[in-house]
Order: sequence, then structure tokens, then C-alpha cells
Amino acid sequence: MNVTQDLSILHLILNASAVVQVVMALLAAVSFMSWYYIFMKWYAVRQAREKTEGFERDFWSGGDLNRLYESAMHAGQESGSMARIFEAGFREFTKLRGQKNLDAKDVVDGSRRAMRATYQREMDTLEAHLAFLASVGSVSPYVGLFGTVWGIMHAFRGLSNVGQATLAAVAPGIAEALVATAIGLFAAIPAVLAYNRFSHDIDRLAVRYESFMEEFSNILQRQMR
Amino acid sequence: MTPERREEPGRRKALAFTVLVHAGLIAALFLGVQWKRSQPDVVEVELWSSRPTPAMQPAPPPPPPEPEVKPEPKPEPKVEPPPPATPEIAIKEDKKKPEPKKPEPKPEPKPEPKKPEPKPEPKKPEPKPEAKTQPAPDFSEMLKRESSERTARTNAASAQQLANAARAESELRAAADKKGMQDYAAKIRGKVRGNIVLPQSIQGNPEAVFEVIQLPSGEVLSVTLKRSSGNPGLDAAIERAILKSSPLPKPDNPALYQRTLEIRYRPFEE
Repeated sequence: MNVTQDLSILHLILNASAVVQVVMALLAAVSFMSWYYIFMKWYAVRQAREKTEGFERDFWSGGDLNRLYESAMHAGQESGSMARIFEAGFREFTKLRGQKNLDAKDVVDGSRRAMRATYQREMDTLEAHLAFLASVGSVSPYVGLFGTVWGIMHAFRGLSNVGQATLAAVAPGIAEALVATAIGLFAAIPAVLAYNRFSHDIDRLAVRYESFMEEFSNILQRQMR
Repeated sequence: MTPERREEPGRRKALAFTVLVHAGLIAALFLGVQWKRSQPDVVEVELWSSRPTPAMQPAPPPPPPEPEVKPEPKPEPKVEPPPPATPEIAIKEDKKKPEPKKPEPKPEPKPEPKKPEPKPEPKKPEPKPEAKTQPAPDFSEMLKRESSERTARTNAASAQQLANAARAESELRAAADKKGMQDYAAKIRGKVRGNIVLPQSIQGNPEAVFEVIQLPSGEVLSVTLKRSSGNPGLDAAIERAILKSSPLPKPDNPALYQRTLEIRYRPFEE
């Protein structure tokens, strides 16, 4: 009649040993953080892609570069990464063009350096927290496993005190231990998926930014003549 | 500065979604992971030996039919309404034998009061010495008589006391046995109830009778169907539940252990 024990999840968590409880709390916090970053990154990447597409459309529609620069300046915080790269490059270009003692190569190199600096900053912002997702994806299953192993050890130690080995004596312990693995996997699986997805998306954006920088440098060089 | 301010709306949404996801997880865990027993208290397991008293009165009249019924108790029960009572007798006999033993102690004390009667016998030897020792003083004789009378009286009183004590003791023992038997039956009932998985199609509240042979440790050696409930699925389910309940709980009083138990089940409580 021991089999008919109340094994609700709350009961399991409250009755777990201290180490397992700490592991579960840690994993719950990590899971919360990783889901938060997943959603945040999802929005950030989607926004970056939309703004890049919008800017590319504007840029290749053959408008005046000065007007594009003006609008990018006005957009301020609302402009996308690519618009900011363009803005930095064009600002540097207009500044350097005014100086007499510089030849065309130096001017283009200067604006390219300015664009690269902005590009690095933008990439840093985009890639922020991705390392956290990668760590969660690779480590939290092990943390959950640790909690489970500890809980099962605990359960079997309890079994040795009982004398008569019944499944009812170990089942609650094992069940509560497995909750730790469940939480660990709940944190890890989305983190791994999100990490792979976002790093791929950000790589593609980076390729777009780099090719834009090359093309824009060519355009600036042509303007120098 | 700039990127932070840009991400702010996304941040709030992300927080909301995160809370939503975790609320979903917690809800799924709470609703999905409930290993609570949901088996209704519908199985009635009854030890036949636990209700011997009502059978006591009918038992004396049927002694003649008893031997006739015994050879063919299994086919009969389905045919006639009275035979269901006859298989009861088969086991109740075992049970009744221990019970009549309790009344027996009552007759036993009765011989005891008779013992004081032999004690008056010593009086018979008395007259003989009387005749021989006429000159001896009557004093000693009177003393002897008086003392013998007194011993006889005290003997009678003590015998009656003994008889009363024995009667009370046997009554107590019978009550204790009966209670122990009921507890034992309740224990088995509870254990089997926890293990049964009832089939879907049960009509009415049919009764099945099983004979279970157990070891002193309570391990079930064999389960045989003595009378079907009329539903083969239910019979099989009960048999499985009994086998799963091995070892059966032990009685508090080891004397109540019986190698052969007859267990009667009703799937639903009345």
C-alpha cells in the first residue's frame, strides 16, 4: 500500500535532497535566462535582417548618396546596422575628401577602416549572449545529470535502510532525481537549437555587411575620380 | 548606448514570452506528472473465513447433505441457488472446526466442578478410622470433617472461578480471533484492491470465488478459479491482481494463518 503515494511534482521537488534542489533551482534560473536571450536574439536578428533589406533596397535603387546619408543621420537609433556602416564610411569619406594632401587610395582606405570599426561593433552587439546559449546547451544536461545521479544515490542509500527492498521505497527518489534531468534538458535543447540558428543567421548578415562594404568602397573610389 | 536603446521593446516582449514558456512548462509538469492513485475503491475482497457466525446456525442441520454435496460442489453452484451456500460449508468447515473448539473449553470446566465431588470421598475413609479408633477423641474427627468440608467448599468455589475464567477467556479469544480474522481479510482486500485493473465491460456486480494456496511467508503458490463471475475478463483481472499481490499480507496473529484461502471478490462495493 506504499505504492499509492502522492507523487505530484510539487511533492517531488519539495522532498528532494538539498543538492538536488540546488541543482534544480540553478537549472530553472539558467533555463529562464536562456529562454529570455532566445527571444531577445530572435527579435534582434529579425529586426537586423529587416532593416538590412530595407537599406539595401534604398541603396541600390540608385538614389543620391548625400540624401541617403541625411536620412540615415536622421533615423538615428532607428537605423539598422548596415545603415550605420554606410553612415560611418560616408562621413569619413566626406571628411577626408576635403583634405588636399590625400590621394584617392588613402581616402577610400580611411573610409573603409571607419566602416570596419562600425561593422565590428555591430557584430559584437548582434553576437552578444550567443556564447551563453552555447554554454547552456552544452553544460546544463550535465548539471541535470549530476542532480539525477546524486538523487538516485540518495534514493539507494535510503533503500539500504529500509531492509525490505520494494519499488515503492526507491521510486519517489528516482522520480524526483529525474526531474533534475528534465529541467536540464528543457533548458539545453532550445538553447542548442537557438544557438545554431542564430549563429547561422548572424553569419549570413555578416557576409552581407562585408560584401556591402566592398561594393561601397568601389563606389567611393569611383566617386574620387 | 545606441544598441541598448534599440533592443528595449524586444526585451520586454522577450521577458513576457519567457515567462509564458515557463508558465507553460510548469503547467505541463503539474498536470502531466501526477502519479496519484486514481483507482476507485471498487473491489471487494472477502475472506470466507471471516464470516463464520451466520453459517454456524445453518451448519448443524445440513450435516447429512454435506457428504452428498462434497463430491460435486463445483458443477452444482451454477445450477441451483442453495448450493452457493454449500461451497461455503466446504471451507467454513475448516473454519468452524477451530470455532467449535472455543465452545469446547466450556464443557471442560464442567468436569472440574465434578472434581470436588470426589473430594467428599475422603469422607468415606473417615468413617473407617472412626470405627477403628473409637476411643480416640471425636475432636480430631470433627476437625477432619470440618477441614474436609472447608476444602470441599473452597475447591468448589475455586473450580467455579476457574470455569468462569475459562469461559471468559475463551469468549475473549473467540472475539480476538474474529477481529484478527477480519483484520486479516481487510488487509488482503486492501492489497488486492491496490493491484487490480478492472476491465471495461462489467455488468452488475458479479462475484468470483478463488482458491488461493499460500506459503507461510504469504507468497501465492497457486490461484484457481472456483466459481466464475461470468465475465472471463474480470476473472482474469482478479487472478492477475491476486498474483500481483504476492506476498499477501500476514495476519497479526500467526495462528490465523491458513494455507488455503478462499477469496470472494465483487468488483464494486455494495
